[in-house]
Amino acid sequence: MFILTKIADLVQIAPDDFRKQSYAAVEDNINAKYANKVVQKIGLCICLWDVLWASEGLIGQGDGMVNVNVEFRLVVFRPFQGEAIAARIADQTPEGINLATDFFDDIFVPWTELPEGSEFEPAENLWVWKDEDQVMYFDNNEMVRFKVIAEEWHDQTPSKPVEVVEATEDAPKPTNSKPPYRITGSMNGPGLGCCLWWE
Amino acid sequence: MKIVESQNALLSNYEVYQHIVDQRKRNTAQNRRLPGNVHHVMTEVLAYLREKPSPLETQDETKHYSATAIPRLLEKLREANLPSELTKGELLSILNLRPSCSALLSTAIEDMEERFDEEQQNTIVDIVGDVLGRDETAGDAGEEMDEDAVPSVENGY
Repeated sequence: MFILTKIADLVQIAPDDFRKQSYAAVEDNINAKYANKVVQKIGLCICLWDVLWASEGLIGQGDGMVNVNVEFRLVVFRPFQGEAIAARIADQTPEGINLATDFFDDIFVPWTELPEGSEFEPAENLWVWKDEDQVMYFDNNEMVRFKVIAEEWHDQTPSKPVEVVEATEDAPKPTNSKPPYRITGSMNGPGLGCCLWWE
Repeated sequence: MKIVESQNALLSNYEVYQHIVDQRKRNTAQNRRLPGNVHHVMTEVLAYLREKPSPLETQDETKHYSATAIPRLLEKLREANLPSELTKGELLSILNLRPSCSALLSTAIEDMEERFDEEQQNTIVDIVGDVLGRDETAGDAGEEMDEDAVPSVENGY
């Protein structure tokens, strides 16, 4: 689920951080920049693991910032393909089930990847698995296990402003609602699905 | 920013758990306040790892996982003389999930049915239970282990 990624970066320590120990200032700086953020094709950064190397601090002209080149390792959330993980059911639609863990929300299980015999109940807005007269519910907030089958990356670079032409006012606005990192999962297989079923 | 190595090592959930717990201890001792985003994500990861069905749920009391438990698990699996070798990813999954029955074991091991027969599957489950503890027998006195050993990414896998 978690990996270590080695990164080299320039850390700039502002003068009001000089009261900190230098290692603490570097650490806080790196954490503030990376923690809880997605780096494209790397994963969701959690926190600093260790600092491998750091240069002398150099003060540039014009501002009082201390510039330090640092090589460090980060703890990153990046499950590998085929890995089984636990998550909670956040939301259900006829297209599939959205899952979330405490720290990562963009997990989707399409209906094609639900156990065979699964049906959507529009009245209750949830999926049920009918297997040999047994009816099992995918309740919201239930803990489930799923297998990672694919991942998607969407760069969040801001797009160009669109010139507003009055005639196209009704046209759908280009939205940037795609998550930076999305995991597609499967719940079709033994041991997968609600954790309660397998206890 | 330059990515020097996108995947330097794989971490088990236990190592991440221990790292966050240690960081917090150190920060309290040194009276340090972390930037908001790290504090936030660390709290959430810890909450996730401490929640059922994570085997680390009872780690605080039982100390089933430790730096020595990982090599012991590998050693025991090697001694079991399994017909097919487990890959690194499979071992990592076993470590993270702590499967308590063969259905759960199959989520960790690819093509399990073809590679291992029922008896061998049970052997793996038993070994996992012996080394990493089971849900029911929490607090088993025989499983107490040295807690101040340092976790290491490099060791074993």
